[in-house]
Amino acid sequence: MKKWLFFSSLILLISCNKDKASYLPTPTSVSIPSHFPQMLIPSDNPMTEEGIELGRYLFYEKRLSADNTMSCATCHSPQNSFSDNNQFSVGIDGIQGNRQSMALINLGWDDFFFWDGRATSLEEQILEPIPNPIEMHQSWKAAAAKLNADMVYRNRFFKAFGSPIIDSTQVTKAIAQFIRTMVSGESKYDVMYKYENGLLLNAAEQQIFTTIEVDEWAGYDLFKSLNGADCFHCHNGPLMRVKKFSNNGLDATLTDLGRGAVTGNSNDNGKFKVPTLRNIALTAPYMHDGRFATLDEVIDFYSTGIHASPTIDPLIEYANQGGVQLDTQEKMLLKKFLLTLTDLNFVNNPKFQDPN
Amino acid sequence: MKTSHFLFYLFLLAGLFSCNKDKPTPIETPKSYVEITVQPTYNSSNLFLDSVYVTTEGYKIKFTDLKFFGTTLKNGQNSLAQVGFFDFALSGNNFLKVEQDVNLFSDLQFFLGVDSLINHNDPSTFSDDSPLNISNAGTMHWGWNPGYIFISVEGKADTLQDGIENYDHNFSFHVGTDDYLQTKTFSAINWVKTASNTHTFALQLDLFDVICNAIDPIDLRNEFLAHSSSLQTALTLKFGKNFKSALTPY
Repeated sequence: MKKWLFFSSLILLISCNKDKASYLPTPTSVSIPSHFPQMLIPSDNPMTEEGIELGRYLFYEKRLSADNTMSCATCHSPQNSFSDNNQFSVGIDGIQGNRQSMALINLGWDDFFFWDGRATSLEEQILEPIPNPIEMHQSWKAAAAKLNADMVYRNRFFKAFGSPIIDSTQVTKAIAQFIRTMVSGESKYDVMYKYENGLLLNAAEQQIFTTIEVDEWAGYDLFKSLNGADCFHCHNGPLMRVKKFSNNGLDATLTDLGRGAVTGNSNDNGKFKVPTLRNIALTAPYMHDGRFATLDEVIDFYSTGIHASPTIDPLIEYANQGGVQLDTQEKMLLKKFLLTLTDLNFVNNPKFQDPN
Repeated sequence: MKTSHFLFYLFLLAGLFSCNKDKPTPIETPKSYVEITVQPTYNSSNLFLDSVYVTTEGYKIKFTDLKFFGTTLKNGQNSLAQVGFFDFALSGNNFLKVEQDVNLFSDLQFFLGVDSLINHNDPSTFSDDSPLNISNAGTMHWGWNPGYIFISVEGKADTLQDGIENYDHNFSFHVGTDDYLQTKTFSAINWVKTASNTHTFALQLDLFDVICNAIDPIDLRNEFLAHSSSLQTALTLKFGKNFKSALTPY
């Protein structure tokens, strides 16, 4: 009799335990285009469906700013391919930054973040804008308190991380998971890249292939040509960028030290992260300080507006003559090619939109 | 009866554990590694990126980037590794470190560049830790070739001897495409034991010998760009040849 009583109590205890909210995150992976390299996911922040969904809510969550008016999406809006069409983004106190908001595209493959590369992981990058006084201007403690006061968020955090505690670590992890899912690889350029690398095109890509215009191919040839636009040294491959910091000849006198301010090495002065050219037509204005409003201005700059300086990238090979000297026809062709980098499936992907 | 059952299970359990203990413990063979390092020099002195050096013509020059691939490293039938990669700015003197038996590699042969058998593969299909993976190759893969840059040397030169430091010429030498693939061979290698389980073969790359080569020098005022295109055949060949001869045991 005593034995039965003991076992009954044990079963009751176990069943009570089951009634508690369960932490059963659903592991998932990022959908990666066949011509892309694998994405390395940090071991301390594995991708889960719950984490990604939470990150999406947080990305659009205005309560992360002190006056509840600004979210990550304010400066990284979908219609601008997750960048800002203002030269400089304006924070909640009306203060402008001094660098252009970078587009959030394929960041899961990046090793350094911000124009000067001062963050070495997405999680580390996401830590900055919330307490930054010229951006969202709210302490992490206050941001976490707001989220903690919301039962729906408490549940979402529990489902994602198995803990009722909401803090900066979990917020940044969730947003990083969401951003890692933001993969762009369905532009016309992707079909051109796959074709030239001898990779198989699927039926949809074969259809796109037939729409590629002669001028777009000619623009691509110019883009890659050493004696043409010579862009490929810094912008190539499926990610349309190389991993490096470069001084691309914007100024003869450097006012923003860029990478040099981070490393303290004068040889890095004036160098900035080479950005992807994906969706370039949607991410104006251009350069780290958003000085160029249009693609035409950018093309003109590389054609005749280059300034030599002590740290100019040796790959700006025609710096001593002011640039690559494109004529009107060549500029038109180059622009045509740059427009092939637009991926509207990425920009309009419902999984990346505001869930509210 | 119950006591006998209890004892039966107890002995069975004890027996199982003791069987487990009787299994032979695998003897771990200590791993041994071979390592190849490269020390860039300029006229036999250690070279530093962004430092000023002088050519025989009196030009002041700075090197800003220095990278190359070695592939299909082997001694006869013994394969050492598929790829070694030197990136002075990012990885210092490291070129290759693999788990191997040093005794198999008294001689060594490899392609200075990327073996044509793999040069045109989809660069996203190499393993994540391979320098050939597009994520790691970065600037060393040409999407348009398609294939890899085998050797990349970049820098700046002040060719105006007017007393003013004005680096008027950028130079960049990018050797690639199958036509420029070279083979490098080392014989009777002196592997030096540098750690209890590591043997190292130290190489020297003297960039003075590349630029100011005694037989075929490069005049950076006029010869500052080579990207292996058909218009740059002569300079690409000269640079590649000088680079190969400048890579010697340290």
